[in-house]
This record gives sequence, structure tokens and C-alpha cells, in this order.
Amino acid sequence: MAELKEIAKELLTSGTVAYIIGYASEKNDKTVPFIARTVEDAEKLVFTHHSVNNLSVYLKRIKKPESGKVGLVVKGCDLKAVVALIQESQSKREDIYIISPKCNTVVSDNTKPWNKDNIASKCLSCEVRTPSLFDATFGEIETVELPSDEQIELIKKVEAMSTSEKWEFWKNEFEKCVKCYACRQACPLCYCDQCIVDKASPRWIDSSATVQGNFAWNMIRAFHLSGRCIGCEECNRVCPVDIPLSLLNRKMSMFAVSEYDYKAGTSIEEPTLVGTYKLTDNEDFIK
Amino acid sequence: MKDYIITAENIQLLVNDVLKQGWDVVSESKTGVNFNAIKDASELAIKSDSKPSKLSMKDFFFPKTEPLFFYRQSHDGVELVDASPIEKKTLFLGAKPCDAAAIPVLSKVFNWDYKDEFYNKRVENSVVVSLKCNYSDDYCFCTSIGLSQKAEQGSDAMLTEQQDGSYFLHIVTEKGDEFFKMYSQYLKDTQAENNKPVESKYPEPAVKFDQGKVKGWLDANFEHDFWNNLGDVCLGCGQCTFVCPTCHCFDIVDENCNYHEGGRMKNWDSCQLCLFTKHASGHNPRDGQTKRYRQRIQHKFKYYEDKFNEVLCTGCGRCTRGCGVGIDIGGIMERIDKF
Ligand code: SF4
Ligand code: SF4
Ligand code: SF4
Ligand code: SF4
Ligand code: SF4
Repeated sequence: MAELKEIAKELLTSGTVAYIIGYASEKNDKTVPFIARTVEDAEKLVFTHHSVNNLSVYLKRIKKPESGKVGLVVKGCDLKAVVALIQESQSKREDIYIISPKCNTVVSDNTKPWNKDNIASKCLSCEVRTPSLFDATFGEIETVELPSDEQIELIKKVEAMSTSEKWEFWKNEFEKCVKCYACRQACPLCYCDQCIVDKASPRWIDSSATVQGNFAWNMIRAFHLSGRCIGCEECNRVCPVDIPLSLLNRKMSMFAVSEYDYKAGTSIEEPTLVGTYKLTDNEDFIK
Repeated sequence: MKDYIITAENIQLLVNDVLKQGWDVVSESKTGVNFNAIKDASELAIKSDSKPSKLSMKDFFFPKTEPLFFYRQSHDGVELVDASPIEKKTLFLGAKPCDAAAIPVLSKVFNWDYKDEFYNKRVENSVVVSLKCNYSDDYCFCTSIGLSQKAEQGSDAMLTEQQDGSYFLHIVTEKGDEFFKMYSQYLKDTQAENNKPVESKYPEPAVKFDQGKVKGWLDANFEHDFWNNLGDVCLGCGQCTFVCPTCHCFDIVDENCNYHEGGRMKNWDSCQLCLFTKHASGHNPRDGQTKRYRQRIQHKFKYYEDKFNEVLCTGCGRCTRGCGVGIDIGGIMERIDKF
């Protein structure tokens, strides 16, 4: 942590960055997003097992500074969102100062202490604990004992269901949706200036939180994130009614890999999946 | 009014009896996410030391989406069809005091000018039996706004868990009295028992502020630097307002419409969403999260009190527990208190 504070102080003193989007401690062990604008603020920056938020969401939500870069504390997994934003021409590499820690996994439940049984599901298959794209890095990799990946088991279970069973499964989940749009607001890749559900004249998608309206909303979001979702699981984490949105997103990501050999957010140079067409692209699904 | 003792087994029998009479019985779901209408007493989750469910029970009085009426084009004009009448009687069982207390607060706004017949009918048709709360965490603050873990506001009766596993049943209103008289076979006299309430493992809510002082500061500081940084990290979602037992904004839209027919819906809306105050011209007077979050605080701790002499908050802490970026309403109140 001392390293992080030193990096931050240097960047703010030299004026390299206008501010740093990072984490600060809150009650108990929790950490919350925090914007450090001064050297005193930099003292408050921390990075712990509780630093769950994907802070790259703020790249599109906070006004760009007039001069200097935006400093961003960003884990390897969340960094994929930065890459995707650059691929999609939403951010410029040279505008961001990437401070990426060596990460030793984060908690699943932020109100409980980190331990083997309280590790976020995305960490269980993580390949980016040591980041590969950064301007500064800090921390040391430690050996972490991981529990088994229940999410992938659940995906297999849903895959094996009949169509009507799948319908029942998702109906029970989507019924709970209250259309708070927290999933969208927490998603770094949901950056449309005007989301289709906010288009009021004409209205394309029912705003009512009925089964029909909820299906429309959740399916549209899943489609819009297909081949783009980088799997930070922020949407899943913030959903107040615990809809397992990660099942949909992860399934779609698995599909992008198996059918198009594409992993979202891997390389700044690579064209995006939905933005390119290759003669070798699989077309079997067009019926 | 007379108080009673009721055993856990008798609660189950009573609930199944109530269900048989055609009533709905609503209790917190076992997943801790929301409140559910149960089909059998075995689904009941009455726990005095559990965290408040993620969603409050307001959905059952003020549904997230509700048709007001339907319209249809007929050969001689437009035909209006009423939404189905609200007839179901509902027993709410095991609600926390901070949940029940929201009902009288909401009733004020839904009867201030226009009387909301949908809301009123649901309240009229309900019997609310709350449960003395033996929980608290870093985000509860019922005690700072004139409530407590045994506040009776909004309850028709209140259960208190006893050390032998039975419940002390305190009757609060006439309605509660009449209801339990119908099921007296399940009740015992209090004198017959010499029992003590279960003691809470949790301390009183740690968040403490003086609402009077906070109100004074809010009165004078609509413009203040404090607001500027507060909205910085807020994502502008509807989570905090939708899980809140007292937030009550709604939008009215026509849906499922084609040229010939449609329905007019009343849907939850939120002051935190970007469309909320957007004018037809495109201008938005609350054009950023700083202003939107200030609105949430001002509405709850100032405007509502100015108008209805009541705080628009029961201190349940749901909005904070669920906020993806940890914006802590109780913590904000404490900071204002210290100015
Ligand atoms: S997915 Fe990897 S980089 Fe992301 S929090 Fe988990 S361990 Fe860290
Ligand atoms: S859809 Fe969910 S998991 Fe995917 S990038 Fe957005 S917030 Fe992250
Ligand atoms: S966060 Fe959950 S409840 Fe809110 S809109 Fe998304 S799916 Fe629905
Ligand atoms: S305070 Fe939290 S829950 Fe409320 S709008 Fe902001 S981010 Fe969403
Ligand atoms: S504002 Fe927050 S603490 Fe107050 S009643 Fe609403 S959800 Fe509960």
C-alpha cells in the first residue's frame, strides 16, 4: 500500500495526472471508489482484498480533465474493460495512467472477511493476476488456495436444461428484476449516451417491470454485451435482487471463444468481434 | 387491548388457517432477497436476528408496476376498462419495525392531495404483524430518527421472540385485535407464562446523529461544497430508491399499446435516474449525480419533514447495504451532524 500511495503522490505532485480514481477504506474492511485530487487524498488510497469495484466504469462517467491524464487503479480483470473501451474508441490509451496491482483475489461478499470461501467467482479462473498492460504496478503475488468454481457447474446445469426448463429458470429470476438499471450503471461497457430503454418517444422497450418487460430488458442487455463483456461481474454484484447475470454473460463469452476464437478486452490493437467480419466466421447459427 | 403468547407451532397452524380463508400471507423470503406471498406455513422465515431483506415490502402496497386502467377503441369511441379490483386480504408476518414504520409515512404522501385508491385499498386490506428486531449492523440507524428495534408505527400487532421459542404477541391496533380474536384458539394468556424475551446479540445501531441538527443544516445549505464530492462516485442507478421502504416516486406510461388498445401503467421511478427531471425541451435541471443525490437527501430529511412533519426514512440501511459504490446515507447524516 505504501507503494501505491507513493506512486499516487508522485503523479499528483508532478501533474502527470489530474486525479486518480482509486479505492479508499470504509467501515470495517470495506473499500469504496474514491477520487484522489490532492497529495492528502493520495494518503487515503488503498488496495485490498475488498477492492471489488471495477473503477474503469468512471472513465465514461466522470468528466475528462482539461489537462493531465486520468490515473486509474485497475485490477488485471477490470483492465480488460479499459482495453475494450480503447478498442471501441471510447478512451485513448495516452489519456489514462494505468496503475495496476498484482492482485491476490477479491472477496465475493464485501461485508465478510476474505478467506477461501469468500472469493469472487471471477477470481477462480483468473489468468491476469499479474497485469500485462500498465504504466505502474505494485504489490506481490501470493499463493491463494481457491475453492471450486460453482458458477461453471451452474452454467453446465442450465445448458443441459430443456427449453421449457430454461424458460422457467429465467422467468423465476427475471420476475424479481425491479428495473433499477444498477447492472447497466455499474457496467464499464454500458456507455451508450442514451440506452434504448431510456428512449421514451417512441418507446421500444416496455418500462414496466413485468415478466415481459424484464425479459426484454435483460435479453437486450445480454445481446448488447455479447462478445464485449469482459467478465468483471459488476452487474451481477450490484443487482439488488441477486439475478445471476454472470451466467448469461459468461455463457456468451464462452460462445465468443468457441465460435470466433475471440476474448473481449485482450489487446488494444485487435479489432472488436462485432466490428469485424472474417470469411472464416461461423454462420451455422443463421437458420 | 389484551396481549397473548403464541408458540412457533401455533404460528404455523394459524398461517395455514389464514391461507385457507383465502388470504395472502406475506413474509420475508428465505433467500433474504425480498418478501413473498407464501403458499404454505413451511415457507415462513421469521427471524428476529436477520439482516433486513434486500427489497423492502413496499412492493405489496405500492407495486413496482401496476395497471391503472386499460383502454380499447370501440365503434363509438374509446372504452375504458378498470384494472381488476383489489380484494385480497393480506397478512404480513414477521416484518421488521423499520419496514412496518414505512406504511404510515407513505400513507401521508398517497393521501395528501389526490387519494391513491390503489395504495389505500391495499393498506385497508392488510394486517401487519411485525417482529421485534434483534439485529443491527453498521448501516442501521432507526434509533437516530425516532424509531427503535421495537417501534410499533405501522404495526397492527408485534411479536417478540421469547427464550423458550414462543412469541409474546402485543396487540397494537383495533384491527390487530379483531384479527387475532378470529384465531383465539392458537393464543395463550400472557399470565400463564413466565418467560423472558430473547436478548439481542447485536448492540444498538452504532450510527448516531441528531435529526433536528441535520435538518437545520439542510435548511441553510442547499448550496454547499459538501454536495460536490458526494455525487462524484455515485453511478446514478435506481438501487437505493427501489430497495427503500419509503421512496415512492412513480412514472405513468401507456404500454402494450397498439392502435386499438393499451394499458396505463404506474411504475416505480427514481430521482437517481437520468430521465427523472428531464424536460421535453431536453433541458435537465438536475443534470448530474451531485444534484440528484442532494435531492435524495433533501427530500428525505428536509422537504418531507417540512410538508408532513415526518422523516422520509426509517433507518433500515438498505440503500447503503445495496449500493455498489458504498454511498452510506447514515454516514452522510453523521458528517452533516458534525458540521
Ligand atoms: S479476477 Fe483476477 S485480477 Fe480480478 S480480482 Fe480476481 S484475481 Fe484479481
Ligand atoms: S456485462 Fe457485467 S460482467 Fe460484463 S463487462 Fe458489464 S458489468 Fe462486467
Ligand atoms: S440490477 Fe438486477 S434488478 Fe436492477 S435492472 Fe439489472 S437485473 Fe434488474
Ligand atoms: S447512491 Fe448508490 S445505489 Fe444510489 S444511485 Fe448512487 S450508486 Fe446507485
Ligand atoms: S433511505 Fe435508506 S435507510 Fe432510509 S428508509 Fe430508505 S433504504 Fe432505509
